[in-house]
Formats: sequence, structure tokens, C-alpha cells
Amino acid sequence: MKNNAFNRALGIASAVIGLALAPTAMAQDLISLTGDVMVVKTVTDDDGITREELVGPDTVVPGDRLVFTTGYSNDGVEAVENFVVTNPIPKAVKLADESGSFMVSVDNGQTYVALAALPTVTVDNGEDGVRSARAEDATHIRWTIARITPGSNGKLTYSAIVR
Amino acid sequence: MKYAHKLIAASTLAITASAFATPALAGGVDAGTLIENTASASYTVGGVGGSVDSNTVEILVDELLDVAVATLDGGPVSAPGSAVLTFSVTNTGNGPEAFTLTADPAIAGNDYDVTVDNIAIDTNGNGVYDEGVDTILAAGGATPLIDPDEEQIVFVIVTNPAGVGDGDNSQVELLAESVTGTGAPGTTFDGQGEGGGDAVVGTTGADDEALGDLIAAAIAVELAKAAMVADPFGGTEAVPGAVITYSITASISGSGSINDLLISDAIPVGTTYSAGTLTLDGAPLSDEADTDNGQASTAGAEVLIGDASAGSAYTITFAVTID
Repeated sequence: MKNNAFNRALGIASAVIGLALAPTAMAQDLISLTGDVMVVKTVTDDDGITREELVGPDTVVPGDRLVFTTGYSNDGVEAVENFVVTNPIPKAVKLADESGSFMVSVDNGQTYVALAALPTVTVDNGEDGVRSARAEDATHIRWTIARITPGSNGKLTYSAIVR
Repeated sequence: MKYAHKLIAASTLAITASAFATPALAGGVDAGTLIENTASASYTVGGVGGSVDSNTVEILVDELLDVAVATLDGGPVSAPGSAVLTFSVTNTGNGPEAFTLTADPAIAGNDYDVTVDNIAIDTNGNGVYDEGVDTILAAGGATPLIDPDEEQIVFVIVTNPAGVGDGDNSQVELLAESVTGTGAPGTTFDGQGEGGGDAVVGTTGADDEALGDLIAAAIAVELAKAAMVADPFGGTEAVPGAVITYSITASISGSGSINDLLISDAIPVGTTYSAGTLTLDGAPLSDEADTDNGQASTAGAEVLIGDASAGSAYTITFAVTID
């Protein structure tokens, strides 16, 4: 009896949420985000020349560099504005120290600064105490695109090294 | 009730702090860790807000096979007969791994080669070889699984060959090889990694070795006997009534120590022991078998030195009269 009452209450709640999300859901179909990951492997060819290649993540060990890519696409007929992509960095990797078109956060996404401005921010990571932030301290990264015209798409990438 | 809530909140904070403070492992994140990445976007379309999540990409971290072997002996281990060499085997990979151990006593340039009797695991973890307690490995045996960044102490028990000179040097090399496999860095063993992934040979080649130093400790005792004659007329003629003072010196050379050193001499035929003349290093000893460590009689003289270390010398003297 009690269970039934609970189920009914839940059902109503779901219905309400569904209604609230309906307009968003329609837009969602037209704006897509596609995640992908590749591993940077150093390959030596027959002439002994080494070069870096992006390969599928079949074998990944600590120290390997991963390239995370998020593709976006506006398949609608209206322009998309204030497009903000947020990517929490998985704990098992550290952001590679290289420039990117993104902002980073070292406080779990509360505030964002440019990668170059990281030394002006301090972190307390317990191990070393309080010090200037480094790329490896980044917890989130964020890209902001002011406007995506209908039918256009692009790719956002960041590199990270397996801890 | 309120108090209990506070306690829970406090402990949660503590856990968060300690998780953050965990130092990065030498071998990196554990094998079998799943790296998951998801991006999300917010935007407006025609003034209406929306959001979208990407698919989640997943990567399984594979097992890196790496090991470091080091000697734990502060210097050369002295080997009078047999000796125990102590090594550490550290798993510098990122998954639990066992390592096959091999001890090689034939090292080029050494004065001599020892015989390797056994390789033992420090089963009780006290860093000291305990015979009958610490597990002896079968030939070609391996350590138990060692967790990432943990070390296993290993003993190599060796015996010196006969006829080794004091101060001669020898060495024993302990080799540890990952049980999963070894090879050039990057060699992959499909599906053999911890946590379901592959196992990949790391920069160490998944094997490492270290030398333990030995120095042979041989010890020898040399006896030197001298006699000085004093005749009743103030001369040195061995005539009846003359007193002969014997001096016997025991010199211990080499290194190490010996036990139960006893210096004894018989009274020569045709002479009689002069009572009360026994000394050790110049100090008089009584003739009776009593609390001091010497005794002498018409039969002979003897002094028990006991433990004696290399580099020391002991001199006993006693006198006899020619009959």
C-alpha cells in the first residue's frame, strides 16, 4: 500500500519534470556534443625517425598523453548564442601545460582564469601546502563561443597526461 | 541527534582533505582505473536557455610493469663461512605484481665466487633473516604479489668456499623479473594487466638487478714461544739450578673473532715448575684452578683467554727450574 503511494508520487514528479524540459529537449536534438579521445604515441619508422601519432586508446599507461575532443554542431535553423562548454577534468589525468583556447578552474568550477594567469592563483593541495597554481591543478576547463551560426560546427580539444 | 550530525560532517571533511593530500604514486594511477570524460554545454537559442551533455568517453588504464632492486646492506657483508645479503624489491609499476628472483654469484672481477644456498622472503617483515620463519623460495620462485609502490625485503643466503683469503671481495647479483613478462619498454601483454586491461613493460624493462657486496673474513692464531735462561751465577747457562722463563705469545690476525682460546704448555722433562710464576700480559695468576683464568702445576701451565678478536695478542709467561 505504502509502495503504491510512493510510486504514484514519483510518477507525478516525473511528469512535471518532463514538461519543464520539453522545450529544451527540442533544442537539444539540434545542438550536439560528441566526445572522443585519442592517445599520442611516439612512432619510430624504418629510417629511425620518430614522430607522434594519434591512435585509438587501446593501450594507455601512466605518463601517456591523451587528447580529448568535443565536437559541437548546430543543426538547427537558429543561431546558438552564449555557448559555454564545461569539461570536468578526470581525476586520473592532469591537464598538459600547453596553451589552449580555454579557461581553467582550480576550484572545482567555481571560478575560471586563463591558463597563462594560473600562477596568480594559489592552491592548497595538501602535499606541498599553499603555492601558485599549475596546469596540473586544473579541475575544470571551459570554452566560450559567442555565436554558432546554423549549420556550422567545430571541435574543442585539450591534452592531458595520465597521472 | 544534532551532535551526531556534526560528527558525520566533520569526518566527511577529514576524508576529503586526506584524499586530496594523497601523493601521486611513482607508478601512476592504479591499473584498472577507468578515466571518464564528459563535456556539457549551456547556451541560448532565440533567448531560450538550453543545455546538452556529450557522450562519456572511457579509457581503462593498463598495467605498467616496472621494478627496482636495491641492496639494503650498509657496506660489504663480512662472510666467515656463510653470510646473509639483504635486498629490497620495489614494485614501481601501477598494479600488484610478483617478481621472479634469481641470484647470480659469478660476477666478473671478483676475488672469488660464493655458493648461493637460498633466497628467502622476509615473511615476518622485520628486515632480519630468521631461519625457519622466513620463507625459502624454490628455485626460480617468485615473491608474493607486491602492491604498487610497496617493497618486499629479500634475503640471499650464501656460503664462502674454503681457502678464501681474509679481505677478499665477492659480489652477488639479485635479479627480479616481472612474472607477467619482461622485454623492451612498450612490449604489451594483451589482457594480462591488473583490472582487465593489458600489461605494458615500462622504462625498467620490467626487470632490475642490484649487487650485494661480500668481504671474506678469515682469522688465524699464531703462537710464538721464547725462553730466557738465568743461571745461579748471574749468567745465561742452562745448568742445574738455572731458571728458564718461557714466554708464549698468541697473535690473532685477519678479521672477526674466535672463541675459547686456550694457551697451554707442558713443563719440559728434567725441569720443575717454579710455583707462583704464571702471568698473563704481565699480571700474575694464581697456580690453583680458581676464579682467575690460569692454572699451573708440575704437569703444565694453561690460561683460558676465551673470546679473542682479530688484531689482539696475549702473552703468558711461567718459569721452570732445571733439575
